[in-house]
Amino acid sequence: MFHWLEKHPFFFAVAVFVVISFAGLIEILPNFAQASQPVVGTKPYSTLELAGRHVYIKNSCNACHSQLVRPFKSETDRYGHYSLSGEYAYDRPFLWGSKRTGPDLMRVGNYRTTDWHENHMKDPAAVVPGSIMPAYRWLFKNTADIDTAYAEQVTVNKVFAVPYNAEIPMADGSKSTVKLAATLEEAHADALEEAKAIAADMKDQDVKDAVAAGQIPEIVALIAYMNSLK
Amino acid sequence: MDNRPLEYDYTVAKMFMLTTVVLGIVGMLVGVILAWEMAFPAVNTMLGEGLAEYTNFSRLRPLHTDAVIFGFTLSGIWATWYYVGQRVLKVSMAESKFLMFLGKLHFWLYMLVVVAVVGSLLMGITTSKEYAEFEWPIDIAVVVVWVLWGMGLFGLIGIRREKSLYISIWYYIATFLGIAMLYLFNNMAIPTYFASGGIGDWYHSVSMYAGTNDALVQWWYGHNAVAFGFTVPIVAMIYYFLPKESGQAVYSYKLSLLAFWGLMFVYLWAGGHHLIYSTVPDWMQTMGSVFSVVLILPSWGSAINMLLTMKGEWQQVAASPLIKFMILASTFYMFSTLEGPIQAIKSVNALAHFTDWIVGHVHDGVLGWVAFMIMAALFHMAPRVFKREIYSKSLMNTQFWVQTLGVVLYFTSMWIAGITQGMMWRAHDEFGNLAYSFIDTVSVLHPYFTIRAVGGTLYLVGMFLFAYNMYKTMTSSRRVEESELQNASPMGA
Amino acid sequence: MDIGTIQAYAYFFFTALLVVVLYAYIYHLYSSQWKGKRDYEKYGNIALHDEITDKPVEEISKNDEINKKEP
Repeated sequence: MFHWLEKHPFFFAVAVFVVISFAGLIEILPNFAQASQPVVGTKPYSTLELAGRHVYIKNSCNACHSQLVRPFKSETDRYGHYSLSGEYAYDRPFLWGSKRTGPDLMRVGNYRTTDWHENHMKDPAAVVPGSIMPAYRWLFKNTADIDTAYAEQVTVNKVFAVPYNAEIPMADGSKSTVKLAATLEEAHADALEEAKAIAADMKDQDVKDAVAAGQIPEIVALIAYMNSLK
Repeated sequence: MDNRPLEYDYTVAKMFMLTTVVLGIVGMLVGVILAWEMAFPAVNTMLGEGLAEYTNFSRLRPLHTDAVIFGFTLSGIWATWYYVGQRVLKVSMAESKFLMFLGKLHFWLYMLVVVAVVGSLLMGITTSKEYAEFEWPIDIAVVVVWVLWGMGLFGLIGIRREKSLYISIWYYIATFLGIAMLYLFNNMAIPTYFASGGIGDWYHSVSMYAGTNDALVQWWYGHNAVAFGFTVPIVAMIYYFLPKESGQAVYSYKLSLLAFWGLMFVYLWAGGHHLIYSTVPDWMQTMGSVFSVVLILPSWGSAINMLLTMKGEWQQVAASPLIKFMILASTFYMFSTLEGPIQAIKSVNALAHFTDWIVGHVHDGVLGWVAFMIMAALFHMAPRVFKREIYSKSLMNTQFWVQTLGVVLYFTSMWIAGITQGMMWRAHDEFGNLAYSFIDTVSVLHPYFTIRAVGGTLYLVGMFLFAYNMYKTMTSSRRVEESELQNASPMGA
Repeated sequence: MDIGTIQAYAYFFFTALLVVVLYAYIYHLYSSQWKGKRDYEKYGNIALHDEITDKPVEEISKNDEINKKEP
């Protein structure tokens, strides 16, 4: 039987495939049956936050920053409560990262503010002496892609039934709703509203001017995303 | 037609040899830039503030990993396949016009994908999943390239003269199947442009999996991309090139067959070790940990088999730099397949995860094992493909020592850096408060980052020596007769 | 039976099966050598005698079933 297999490349290939797919079948597939259930208080991303998440991905922030707090005292002391599976229910893709050249960002919205991020992105070493993070000044000039963010919201809402425009229970017992705009124009208007609130806390005159003129620089979207990480 | 005797046709192998050298230099050059950026952040703006977006660490990092994995290593795998495949099956590519056409199409389409990948990564078009950063249009092209290779592979097997498949062919088949399965599953995504009725960027997509599931699939892929890109095909190479160069048959052919099945079965389970102490189910983390340790057995089965192949022939290691490359490669293979399982033990992982120790582990595997073996393979192939002797033996020796020093500097500095950082993250003072702020744990690494950058630079210098030696071999070395090509490769002074 | 239990049983069953198959394979490799049916070590020579003019270690004979085109 074994020797027969060694001389028949096609059946040999089938045998190899069976052996290597075994782990995946047992480990991975059954888990899809029980898709991640969001924990109480986990909300889908707003259009501006999602656009900010795309900025985060575009610049590979995840190459140096994790978003996964492990259940150790030293980690919970430093970053806050350890991560729960359900908190990632709306993260497509996940952004856990594999290397902490910089600190974890899972709950950065709890302890950093808009103006801190603004100063830090312009010149990290000025805010944190000794920092080896590069400056991200082009984020202040590039315009965030609201169209693609909205397209992604529509997609996940349609395909994966991500609960936009639906009541979501919060930790304090209240209900919260994340809006999915009916049209692209409406999505732009909503994102701009959100952006204005953030720009009000910023100092950069070019960013303020851009937002006043109806443009949303990447930095504003990114800060909206960072502030949502709690 | 004329009556020339039938010969092996290395046209496609030559093409891939060229890209192996070029993409190897590109990938490692980017890596060296990254290393200096971590040691001295001013390097991030080396081309000026205006181009900083394209030269800063985070934009270049995916380019480095993908250029080395899918540029250098994959080219090396294919260069050797189009060489070894013909020889151990005893059939020439020249015998089938169709297979020849497939091979060339495979190469040119691959080139197209390389250009698309470099362009899109520099522009920041990425899915963020490690080693699977490409958006769906490139993914589709990758699948086509892969299918072309598969057709060529099984096509050549179909017209073979040698009835039994040599062990290397087993490993090439496993590479083909493994990557095909993993790549397809991990890159499942929905293009948002089409799902939303034509809004936003046409190339953007959203992952089919969310959060923890996404992480599980990604590291099932990520870990096994290492298995089927950096281990399986490289083992295929050493099983052919070491016996051939030394003139010694594999020490135990039976052991090589057993190690093959062992590796196939165990490797896929080990992916969970990337997710220890994360939010994936606990039993999977434990499984990842346990199987990683079991994985030592088949890995060492192959490595020891290689070392024993040299039994009684150790004078060859001293005499031939080519054999030195291969013996060091299999030694590093043993080393990093021992280091990996150690890092997968839960308590060690708690310390090592997220630190530079992991980076060190990847690099002693890739620089010490993968790259050394691929370069040795190319050195062995060059005289047979170009019908000229290797240009300079002393240059090979120099390259060997420069690069070995580079690897040693790299992994030792990253060990110290990783363990230092891991210990400082968890240190508490007498009152139970954290002893160090995060920036303390970064500043302390500066000397190690610098040593690492020096090590990487040395390795890159070795790559340039390699490229020069190959170029001279191709163009101006002494021509050799068929009779000189039996085993040990002919080398000029 | 919940999905976890099925996973556990499937895992145990397949692992046991594959372990048995692997040991059977070891037995097969060595017993074919003792019985003189086939010496696997000769295949190591495929790499050493790999010129296109060399005689294959095991030739595909003309009327062998394998000569039918592989997929």
